Amino acid sequence: MADVAYESNPMTVSDSKIAAVKRSGAGDVRFHALTVAAAAIVVLLFLGMMGALTEGAWLSIRTFGASFVTSQKWNPVTEQFGALAAVYGTLVTSVLAMALAVPVGIGIAIFLTEICPRSLRRPIGIAIELLAGIPSIVYGIWGLFVFAPYFQEHIQPWLVDAVADIPVLGTIFEGPPYGIGMFTASFILSIMILPFISAVTRDVFDTVPATLKESAYALGCTTSEVVGSVVLPFSRAGVVGGAMLALGRALGETMAVTFVIGNSHKIHASLFAPGTTISATVANEFTEAVGDIYHSSLIEAGLILFFISFVVLAAAQLMLRILHKRAGGVAA
Amino acid sequence: MDAVVTEKAKLSVKNLNFYYGSFQGLKNVSVPLYDRKVTAFIGPSGCGKSTLLRVLNRIYMLYPNQRAEGEVTLDGEDILHGKQDLNLLRARVGMVFQKPTPFPMTIYDNIAFGIKLYERLPRSELDGRVEDALQRAALWTEVKDKLKESGLSLSGGQQQRLCIARTVATRPEVILFDEPCSALDPISTAKIEELIDELVKDYTIVIVTHNMQQASRTSDYTAFMYLGELIEFGDTEKIFTTPTNKKTEQYITGRFG
Repeated sequence: MADVAYESNPMTVSDSKIAAVKRSGAGDVRFHALTVAAAAIVVLLFLGMMGALTEGAWLSIRTFGASFVTSQKWNPVTEQFGALAAVYGTLVTSVLAMALAVPVGIGIAIFLTEICPRSLRRPIGIAIELLAGIPSIVYGIWGLFVFAPYFQEHIQPWLVDAVADIPVLGTIFEGPPYGIGMFTASFILSIMILPFISAVTRDVFDTVPATLKESAYALGCTTSEVVGSVVLPFSRAGVVGGAMLALGRALGETMAVTFVIGNSHKIHASLFAPGTTISATVANEFTEAVGDIYHSSLIEAGLILFFISFVVLAAAQLMLRILHKRAGGVAA
Repeated sequence: MDAVVTEKAKLSVKNLNFYYGSFQGLKNVSVPLYDRKVTAFIGPSGCGKSTLLRVLNRIYMLYPNQRAEGEVTLDGEDILHGKQDLNLLRARVGMVFQKPTPFPMTIYDNIAFGIKLYERLPRSELDGRVEDALQRAALWTEVKDKLKESGLSLSGGQQQRLCIARTVATRPEVILFDEPCSALDPISTAKIEELIDELVKDYTIVIVTHNMQQASRTSDYTAFMYLGELIEFGDTEKIFTTPTNKKTEQYITGRFG
């Protein structure tokens, strides 16, 4: 196309202009190659990680097979390893943390975008971003030295008594008040992921066009109806995306959880009992893992965590697609 | 201001001043909006015509630094002050915006949504209301086979008619149009104008437009505004043929604006 234009209009395009266009064309090829290389690095890293983990875990995979994920026997002395308790702990703490943090995070975002006076918006927004920047070890220390003792003395005994006679709740919240345990870990996790969820959700809510909200208000909607029927459906992809980022962080969070979960390889029905997660197990035990099979088992646990994250992301995509279909197919 | 006095004013604006923070957007505007007539607000950009429209359903209230002073009455009742329930007001005074704003839901739900805000209807009756609204917006034949598809799958002109249907579905008394055709092609524009001709039998209509032909084609009354003031109001035919004010004449003959 370009060449034809030059021929039909030879007087208006100077040679230097043509040269300049050719130069920038060559620059574009380099730019293209650079971006392809950058994308390729991600894929290579992914494959390399998979390969390294699988290789490291191979001994454990061969030795224990499927029992690695079905058994909760984790005995370094007899070299019997089953990661069920860690997988269970990882999933339960993450899901519970999400259940606590997602509604609150969305609530914060709604407040910030729809209700909060303009002058308060920035200070609160900055506070949330600062919370997101606190290193996890700080949350861990706070959880162990501040939250857990308070929880143990003032809340836990009362809660255990209060629900003791209720069939399911009684089982979930029973046992001696240790302060630390699965519930405390979930709680700390939820505080850690809360800023993520609210910051991402707020940003997504801000992308909802003002005229769209105005049209809903113009129909006579109240704020809650506008949020429920227009803002949330419009921004669902971003909200789910933000929640999944948060879930990813919760699944992999190590230090804070290690501090407060109790690190016990046993599955208890009670959330007040100590437990463990995959990342807490790896962090705690890697340095003391003597023997190839112990080492290999920890790596296999890591591989499983990798796999869980992958499944979670896939599930999120699937969920989005279903939501998408329900809204009539075209809305993003 | 000496327009026909035999008409009944559905909405009446008196001595309205409007402020965006410290900037005064409307200066002492008074205008009647007659029942089941089309009134057009015309004037150059920034003259306050959209601002005036946005006072009529008090949508400006969404923005805390905007305020209105003066008197606006709907059927003789003050709607600008105190106890007026905003949601109820907006149920009575509907609005169609400049750009089509279908909600992120199916075509059916876009219409049913507004109805469900006010009424609990059995499914069959709701279906009837949705069809009726789409009929009134002259969209039914085009969408009747794809009610379950997203409102966003429609073309721009269809989306705008969907928005009109959505507004009509809640059975308002007044419909405000804020430059409803400025994002549309000529054919879609013609359809919307035909629709306005049809809707005015049942509703009081106020339309803000940049397009003077549109104002002269669609409206019964025209208000010309300039720099926040109402310069002239009267019969559309009179405004466009024998305006009394020099500014109005200059504007409609295209000498400025």
